[in-house]
Amino acid sequence: MATHAAFMPGAKVETLTFWGVIASWLTTVDHKRVGILYGSSAFIFFLIGGIEALIMRLQLARPDNDLVSAQTFNELFTMHGTTMVFLAIMPMSAAFFNYMIPLMIGARDVAFPRLNALSYWIFLSGGLLLHASFAFKAVPDGGWFGYANLTSAQFSPSHSIDFWMLGLQILGISSMLAGFNFLVTIINMRAPGMTLMRMPVFIWMSFVTQFLIVLAFPAITVALILLMFDRFFGTLFYAPAAGGDPLLWQHLFWIFGHPEVYILILPAMGIVSEVLPTFARKPLFGAPVVIYSGIMIGFFGFGVWSHHMFSVGMGPVADAAFSITTMLIAVPTGVKILNWLCTLWGGSIRFQTPLYFSLGFIAMFTMGGLSGVMHASPPVDLQQTDTYFVVAHFHYVLFGGSIFGLFSGAYYWWPKITGKLLDERLGKVHFWLMMLGFNVTFFPQHYLGLIGMPRRIYTYAGDLGWNFWNLVSTIGAFMIALSFLVFIGNVIKTTRAGKVASPDPWDGRTLEWSIPSPPPIYNFARVPQVHDRDELWRQKHGDGHGGAPPPKPAPVTAAEIAAIHMPPPSFWPILLALAMVVMMSGLLISMYQVIVGGLLTLFLMYKFAMELHRPAAGHRH
Amino acid sequence: MADHSATHAAHDPNIGNTGLDHRKMGMWAFLGSDCMFFGSLIGTYLAYKGKSLSGPTPYEVFDIPLTSYSAALLLASSLTMVLALAALQDNRVKVAAGWLLATAAMGLHFVLNQVYEFWTFVNHYNLTLSTSLFGSTFFVLTGFHGAHVTGGVIWLLLLVSLAWRGQLDRRDYTKVEIAGLYWHFVDIVWIAIFTIIYLIP
Amino acid sequence: MADHGTTTATHGGGGGHATVRTYIQVAIALAIITGVEVATLYIPGIPNPVLVISLLLMSAVKFYLVVGFFMHLKYDHQIMRALFVGPLLIAVIIILAVMALFSAFLLLPRPH
Repeated sequence: MATHAAFMPGAKVETLTFWGVIASWLTTVDHKRVGILYGSSAFIFFLIGGIEALIMRLQLARPDNDLVSAQTFNELFTMHGTTMVFLAIMPMSAAFFNYMIPLMIGARDVAFPRLNALSYWIFLSGGLLLHASFAFKAVPDGGWFGYANLTSAQFSPSHSIDFWMLGLQILGISSMLAGFNFLVTIINMRAPGMTLMRMPVFIWMSFVTQFLIVLAFPAITVALILLMFDRFFGTLFYAPAAGGDPLLWQHLFWIFGHPEVYILILPAMGIVSEVLPTFARKPLFGAPVVIYSGIMIGFFGFGVWSHHMFSVGMGPVADAAFSITTMLIAVPTGVKILNWLCTLWGGSIRFQTPLYFSLGFIAMFTMGGLSGVMHASPPVDLQQTDTYFVVAHFHYVLFGGSIFGLFSGAYYWWPKITGKLLDERLGKVHFWLMMLGFNVTFFPQHYLGLIGMPRRIYTYAGDLGWNFWNLVSTIGAFMIALSFLVFIGNVIKTTRAGKVASPDPWDGRTLEWSIPSPPPIYNFARVPQVHDRDELWRQKHGDGHGGAPPPKPAPVTAAEIAAIHMPPPSFWPILLALAMVVMMSGLLISMYQVIVGGLLTLFLMYKFAMELHRPAAGHRH
Repeated sequence: MADHSATHAAHDPNIGNTGLDHRKMGMWAFLGSDCMFFGSLIGTYLAYKGKSLSGPTPYEVFDIPLTSYSAALLLASSLTMVLALAALQDNRVKVAAGWLLATAAMGLHFVLNQVYEFWTFVNHYNLTLSTSLFGSTFFVLTGFHGAHVTGGVIWLLLLVSLAWRGQLDRRDYTKVEIAGLYWHFVDIVWIAIFTIIYLIP
Repeated sequence: MADHGTTTATHGGGGGHATVRTYIQVAIALAIITGVEVATLYIPGIPNPVLVISLLLMSAVKFYLVVGFFMHLKYDHQIMRALFVGPLLIAVIIILAVMALFSAFLLLPRPH
């Protein structure tokens, strides 16, 4: 088969037409391409979420403002939160999981390449469905956390909550499928010699994240199913009049929601754990301790959820229990911060852009963590909850933490992915502008919260003393926006005329830097043999105990490359994703669409499964 | 040993460097995740147990003999499932297909019993999804379990049809094994539901 | 692992193996326990705590038998065990926590 032959490494690749290029991206099962798809989509959604934030900040810049109505403001904060959590940070992390996990474990692929592609197309469908709500003038407006029973059919009769509910359900399926894929990939496809404790810390953090995903998402799946049944089929799960308890939603949501915030931060922590040693030219201080801390954060993250509910009246026993567990979970987090700082101490530091963003992460995340620990005390939280103090807290950890960490990863791995180095000067301008803008935006919000400014208000009276710092915060938001323009400019400049990158521009420590930039489709011409967590460093510089570096192996032969088999592209993933979204969105339109979509989904699942069953002779997957 | 794993993996893309099959590992991970799914549904049922404001109570509507029979059906179907696998291991494909068909048939019987049960609840006892918290929680929990069983029946029938067309044999052991794992899981969820919902007062 | 060198004829990941005889024994045990469970329900005057605990114990044994033998987990690599048992424990703990948060104690007497 012609297309199949094109995927034999070393075979002649015909030049593709424009539509050929499109088709190759739509049918790709190459984890690197899937990573690029996730990253590009995530960045676009991130900009959309950012615009929503800018409009909110414009509205709040002055008291008694009427730039947008209260209803529109509700839609803005709902979509901003939902977009940033599910369509920006998670998929950006997924971009790095996709691209880097196989490279860093010395594998040629993920365990389930087609399932991986399917996750991406399902994600994209979910994001598009959520944004289709704009076209239907039914934009979700119940907050990113959708508390019952505001979301009931009685109080939210339009389709806005339905778009939100179905969109999230679809996104959840995408994340879980990817989670199963990466779990199996990490356990089962590590290069020979890579024991679990020799895995890079980014892989460990990603590993814990996948467990969190597959264990936390079922809870929100159930919460959303119960909501769907309440809204469409008249069940009483969140109906107080029938004895139902809206708190059931809150519990189920936060049983998901708290692990979710660790899902959002752990990958960034993993990135920082790779960047710091590289730019300090020192191994990660206490790497096993960092790994164990990550595991503990993941596990105990399931035991703190009701700290989001201190104000609902759970009673002193529940309040105390969750307060204690929340304070305890600060410990492994603090341990990691200490380990990162000790990595830098005594290191031979090269101040380049990836390091800047990682340092920014440490500083900003620490601040966010401190305000978080304050909330851990129920009496203190009763003052802070539902005020801008909480808004400040989570932006410090999610923006100051996750976003800074993800940008660190972007600058760090950009040369590997694209073969070009992002401009250093522009990178530093981006960093300082974003650092300044971020703090100008969010630091005053701690104060605003403590003097009483509630969350989710679309305007405020002018005599409360909130005017000045709201204006300052808005100015900061536009500084952040400017910093993104600098980043985009950098990307455009680099794409056109950027410096070509070598395989190992940072003198890296891990396996991804041992292959060309960008890597060939098969990643590794020869499967590496691993002896150390910092295997590449060992190969280049020896094991640090006086032993000489190992001798250079014989060069790779064309025959070795010709023997590598990579899976051919497939169109079943994108078709199956389309069928699923047709089925799910049918709930907004008609039961016939649900049934037809459902049958189509079943049929395509069958075809998907059968594609690899009894393949024709010579066809290899 | 490490080199052996690497070479072995080159022969079979489904086997990882641990010597374990990706698909089997993926299925166990999925079943772990599904524990959380059913755990959330069961937790919801138990949170609302006894708190309905009106409508029939569980004890007024449950048909313990019928449900016990259904429980026995699923347990028996787990036996036929492992017998199917054992037969497939010996490449006795037709026998394996027979046991798979028996498994599917018992699963289908289970679902039909459940449909009958639902029908009785709705038509004899006026218990629907919207009657009470009991109605909501019961139908959604057992309904999703029934949906899982139905999915399993379809999967098994698919395997039977492949076997009859000569497209299934010993080489597909892992594929049938993971279908079996899914099937047994559906059985153990019923063990939990049967006890917690039907038997425990 | 000894049979690792064989081709895909064997499943990737099995250690030992249960025989057909074992399976039938397990099935009979399951049937008996189910019978006892249902019978226990009809014991007149049985105190609730005793009923509940014995039902839960019997179910746990059935659960273990199906998972260990039919699902082969007793013989499988510990990775498979970890992938299932960990989440199972987390799910059980969360069920108990939710029950506590909603004041749904198992042992309150109910009309029978």
